[in-house]
Amino acid sequence: MQRIPVTVRANLELAANDHGLEYIAGEGITGWDESACYQFTQRQIKEDIEGPAEEIEDLCLQVVDRAINTESVLQRLGIPDEFWDYIADSWRNNEKNLLGRMDFSYNGNGPAKLLEYNADTPTTLYESAVFQWEWLEHALDKGLVSEGCDQLNDVHESIVAAFSVIGLETLTHFACNADIEDDKGTLDYIEECANEAMLETCFLKMEDIGIDEQGRFIDLDNRIITSLVKLYPWEWLMGEDYASHIPTSGVQFFEPPWKSILSNKGLLPLLWGMFEGHPNLLPAFFEDDPESRALIDTGNYVRKPQLSRQGANIEIVQNNVTLLQTDGPYADKPHIFQGFEPLPDFEGKYPLIGCWMVASKPVGLCIREDNNLVTGKDAKFIPHVILD
Amino acid sequence: MTKSRSSIAISLMVGVSLIALTACDEPKVDASVFKDVEQCKNDPMMRSSQCEASFKEARGQHASVAPKYATKADCQADFGDEKCETAPYQTSSGGSVFMPMMMGYMMGSMLGGRSSMMSQPLYRSSKNPSAFRTADNRNVGSTTGRTSVAKSATSRPSFKKSTMSRGGFGSSGGRFGSAAT
Repeated sequence: MQRIPVTVRANLELAANDHGLEYIAGEGITGWDESACYQFTQRQIKEDIEGPAEEIEDLCLQVVDRAINTESVLQRLGIPDEFWDYIADSWRNNEKNLLGRMDFSYNGNGPAKLLEYNADTPTTLYESAVFQWEWLEHALDKGLVSEGCDQLNDVHESIVAAFSVIGLETLTHFACNADIEDDKGTLDYIEECANEAMLETCFLKMEDIGIDEQGRFIDLDNRIITSLVKLYPWEWLMGEDYASHIPTSGVQFFEPPWKSILSNKGLLPLLWGMFEGHPNLLPAFFEDDPESRALIDTGNYVRKPQLSRQGANIEIVQNNVTLLQTDGPYADKPHIFQGFEPLPDFEGKYPLIGCWMVASKPVGLCIREDNNLVTGKDAKFIPHVILD
Repeated sequence: MTKSRSSIAISLMVGVSLIALTACDEPKVDASVFKDVEQCKNDPMMRSSQCEASFKEARGQHASVAPKYATKADCQADFGDEKCETAPYQTSSGGSVFMPMMMGYMMGSMLGGRSSMMSQPLYRSSKNPSAFRTADNRNVGSTTGRTSVAKSATSRPSFKKSTMSRGGFGSSGGRFGSAAT
């Protein structure tokens, strides 16, 4: 694994415009940096990322299988009890899942360590699936990268294939908070994939969803919503005014309700509890678990909220000193402790390796760099190549 | 909640104009319309026991089939001042639900002593208070006693458990911003 400087495309602004990405003169594309790429060997990708991701996915599904039957676990995850049966049913009925992104700390040597699993509302999808691939084609064409460079990138084809296999027969709705460009852009892309799979789709804002007299969700034309691809976290849905209608609405959600167990950082202590010592896992404990004491005593740990986004409210302690503490709105919410595995330092850049899971298979890579150990919302996407 | 009101108001207007357009073409059926059980009993064509049984049947449906509103003002705008009451339901956030008062009932003709259709409650809108309309907003005219109504108006009214509304999702997005992870 190396960080290799690359010449930026001459027509970057044009490329940004073509893809609807924000371009600022003098700065480049917001959230994207192609002045470097990360280069991996085949073996690194296959054995250190793809293999472990597939294995961890399997462990995660075992966690879900156990959690749905264990009230104390659902309670600890903070899932409202009126959703327990609903979530369990979605799992038992084998409701299909579409997308997730596992984030690893990996430096090219030794096992990648799972930091978290964004299993419900992962973003930077378009950059990973489309823009990154186009960059590679261009970079190969112009000789900006070595001949023979490849990418782990079957994201687009896999999403289209997943939609085809799921076999949604009626109109599929898509909804998110449309005021957030990033969210809307990500969801638009997923909708395009659905269209490519010949599905008929319709976008609406979360707040435009209505409810009819029979408790079914409806769109702005009062058409009944039977399947909904949402870029809106389950924990938000379960706390809003229409929450009580969700279990009886008859809607097939993507991601399915059982994903709410995996998108919670409580997953990390649950994984550790069941598979302690697994090479790709870090020790992790719920904050109120007495066993967390031993981890705290090592003086090297990370404290993070069970439910949070974009690196908010994370505290890193190294050698008993707080190295970093980020702000956010989740300070008074339940937290977990996780062993501290620093992101590798490449000349002051800290890459986080994301592995895209589509229908539970590892199909793509997403590397984001920040200037510190917590990858926040200002992190930049760096493309990758595979070369032996 | 403004949206729920306008959507119901629009359906009310559409309902009225549809009746006007199709009244001549639609097949009619015999029915009896009364404003209350006393008026029915005073009708020489009706038996008291029938009047009471039909009234009871309609009254029993009233709360489940009457249109529902999240505010009393919205309900009164469609059905008139002092013509609305609290429904035995709550909104998902625990608020009151309002519905028009039952202003009459309709039963089928009594061929061989058996009603050809179920009885159902009737209402009067503020825009056209002389006419009775069903819970599904079908105009059945202002004639009481034996009358004939469009066949479609005699179908069983739909259940309306909660008020039709929008905006029950999206508040967290407003608070936290991006859903991105």
